[in-house]
Amino acid sequence: MAPSVEYYCPCLAASPHPPPPHLPSSSYSFHPLHNLFFCEECDAVRCNRCVMVEVSGYYCPNCLFEVPSASVRAEKNRCARNCFLCPNCRNTLTVVPSDPPNDGLDRTSPIVSTSLGEPPFFLFCNYCRWDSAEVGITFEKPTGLAAQLQKYEDSAPEALEFDRLKEHFEPFLRASSSSSAITPSSSHHHSNPITAAASSALARDIPGVGKYNPLTRSRSGRDKGAHKTDIPDYKARVEVGSAAGLGAGGGEADAEFVRHLETVAEVATVEQRWVNSWASSLHTGDLKPLRIPLQSKKSKRCPSCRHILIKPEQKAQSVRYKIKLVAANYLPAISVSLPHARVALEMMKRSALNRSTAQPEDQNPAAAALLAGKTYSFHLSFTNPLYDPIQVRLKKAQAMPTPGSEAIGEKAKRPPFQVNLPSAAFPIAAFAEAWEYEDDEDMFGLEDDDDLDGLGRLQKDSRGKARTVGVVEKKANVTVVAGEVILTKEARGNVKFNMLVSYTYRSDDPDPTEGNETGTPSRHASNKQPEMKNFSFYTVVDLGPIVPREETRHDTDL
Amino acid sequence: MDAPIYYSRAEYIETDTGNKVSRRATIAGPQNIILGGKTIIASGAIIRGDLRRTGPGHAVVISLGRYCLIGEGCVMRPPYKTYRGNFNYYPMKIGDHVHIGNGTIVEAATIGNHVEIGKNCIIGKFTIIKDCAKIADNTVIPPNTVVPALALFAGSPGQLVEDLPESTQEMVEAHTKGFYARFQPAAAER
Repeated sequence: MAPSVEYYCPCLAASPHPPPPHLPSSSYSFHPLHNLFFCEECDAVRCNRCVMVEVSGYYCPNCLFEVPSASVRAEKNRCARNCFLCPNCRNTLTVVPSDPPNDGLDRTSPIVSTSLGEPPFFLFCNYCRWDSAEVGITFEKPTGLAAQLQKYEDSAPEALEFDRLKEHFEPFLRASSSSSAITPSSSHHHSNPITAAASSALARDIPGVGKYNPLTRSRSGRDKGAHKTDIPDYKARVEVGSAAGLGAGGGEADAEFVRHLETVAEVATVEQRWVNSWASSLHTGDLKPLRIPLQSKKSKRCPSCRHILIKPEQKAQSVRYKIKLVAANYLPAISVSLPHARVALEMMKRSALNRSTAQPEDQNPAAAALLAGKTYSFHLSFTNPLYDPIQVRLKKAQAMPTPGSEAIGEKAKRPPFQVNLPSAAFPIAAFAEAWEYEDDEDMFGLEDDDDLDGLGRLQKDSRGKARTVGVVEKKANVTVVAGEVILTKEARGNVKFNMLVSYTYRSDDPDPTEGNETGTPSRHASNKQPEMKNFSFYTVVDLGPIVPREETRHDTDL
Repeated sequence: MDAPIYYSRAEYIETDTGNKVSRRATIAGPQNIILGGKTIIASGAIIRGDLRRTGPGHAVVISLGRYCLIGEGCVMRPPYKTYRGNFNYYPMKIGDHVHIGNGTIVEAATIGNHVEIGKNCIIGKFTIIKDCAKIADNTVIPPNTVVPALALFAGSPGQLVEDLPESTQEMVEAHTKGFYARFQPAAAER
């Protein structure tokens, strides 16, 4: 795996410090930069786990029809037009006519026009060749299929049962909604009236099921009594034991069916059956086409100040946003690379060039390996998204942990690797649109020969080779700094460490979309203007797995 | 910064608008193919511009936008069907910033902008792929499928796996532009 940098969102922890990076659970706190949001009001990073999500619109993923939210509930969150999923493989189904030369050969090219076709029509799966005629579903006309299927759906036992349940609880719901409105503060979100009513009904009807009541301690007995008196006993349409008789599965019939199986394909798989709300038949032949579930566009809010972070445009297939506060527009983007791996890769590529162009994905793991007991330098490249220059300071997070593998944890008291980061602050120039338009090719080959700021601190490693910890390269709004990692001989696991990044920026226009004041130079930290502000965030840098020495020798032999 | 991707200068033809087309690619019916500029067609790709709609006049069969990549060994073939008893090919339109991985076969009707398609996929006839969608490696998209915007499809048959982040457009754009910038002739042959 290529080295990576992920950013920390403190939403899961109480403390602002990130968890040790080697724990598997820590991965939930770190996210790629492009998945994060930034709340300007709170001046904080937000992730998909902590934002509040609201549905801003529904659409069908197949016909892309935008369903008004009023009809979503009536249509049971599924497309009410012509979109169906194959019950067998979950591909979308096509409507095909039964044309006169219906000799089976015609089915091999199902993309025949519907206007030529003759009724009856049926649904056909292009992928697994399932068709709805197999299960006895055909249509008189090729449009409004969902409406034509309505009668199957409405007469299904689970639909009838659910309607009956709703009807039963309706008066209670109406009565209690007014009473619960008086004490809204005490109502826990699990304890809305319908949940309470359903749980008391369940407790009564099924022996052994404890009554779910989160309010036992908080509420008075008056309410509990009210539940009992207000709701009459619910009589199910279908008794539990007799459901099997309706072809709903279970019981002796299934055992008999399985006993006489000839192929496994006769039994519907769990994946094919478990979306149903009702225990359904085991027979593949009983599977019905499914209306396609709707998808939604979501807007996202900051959990603490409720400001909108993401607000999509109304149109379902538009990828533009009215509001989009993503962290990539605020925090410097960091990417990490291992120069020794790149050199090795380049050598391989040059030798392979006469064949064809090599793709960057074909990285040889052996060449990029980190050998235990050696010292490697790594490059961190910072890209400034702001229209003002920033000063960045790096710090390795405290409490370097030992890796999770217990064998090492016992033996090695000292950490398996040591990381040196540049200690001095370094500048990154402002982002300017103009750089976007510069000729890419010229940009690329350009080596910025500016002096390296004197930040570089030369070091000698064990073999006497010079290594630099400090700024390596500056061009446009990208600054590359080098760090180094010293691996101990018995190091195992991944080289993974937390890094605190602090940067100073001009606070007068924190919104990069507003100001374009690249002319005002505030390049130096010595420029002690009161408007400079500081922002820090944690990242985890993963340089990849450490290869024990014996293994690599074995790998390279291959 | 990622390392440049070198190619041998002799292999690729570069057009005025910056398209780079491998001499080892099979381009049938080039008069019916439009490349938007800065698009790369890698070696071994097959583009069937000759499968045009019957009837007189000029017909655009395959149009590609800017900053596209047709990977090695890809097959781009316009979709066909028999409509009202007439067999016909239909044009294929591909937007900007579309990368198609190696060994993928595409018979889509429309592919939007900022779409990434992985390696060794099969994109069935008349598939419509909307903007910023992504198809994972080794996915089979059956004919007539619609892939909505910002969706990741994977599997066989391809199904929605997850919604992509809101910043997908910027990421794909940066990636495709970066790829074009890195794709340069080998220094030794300059």
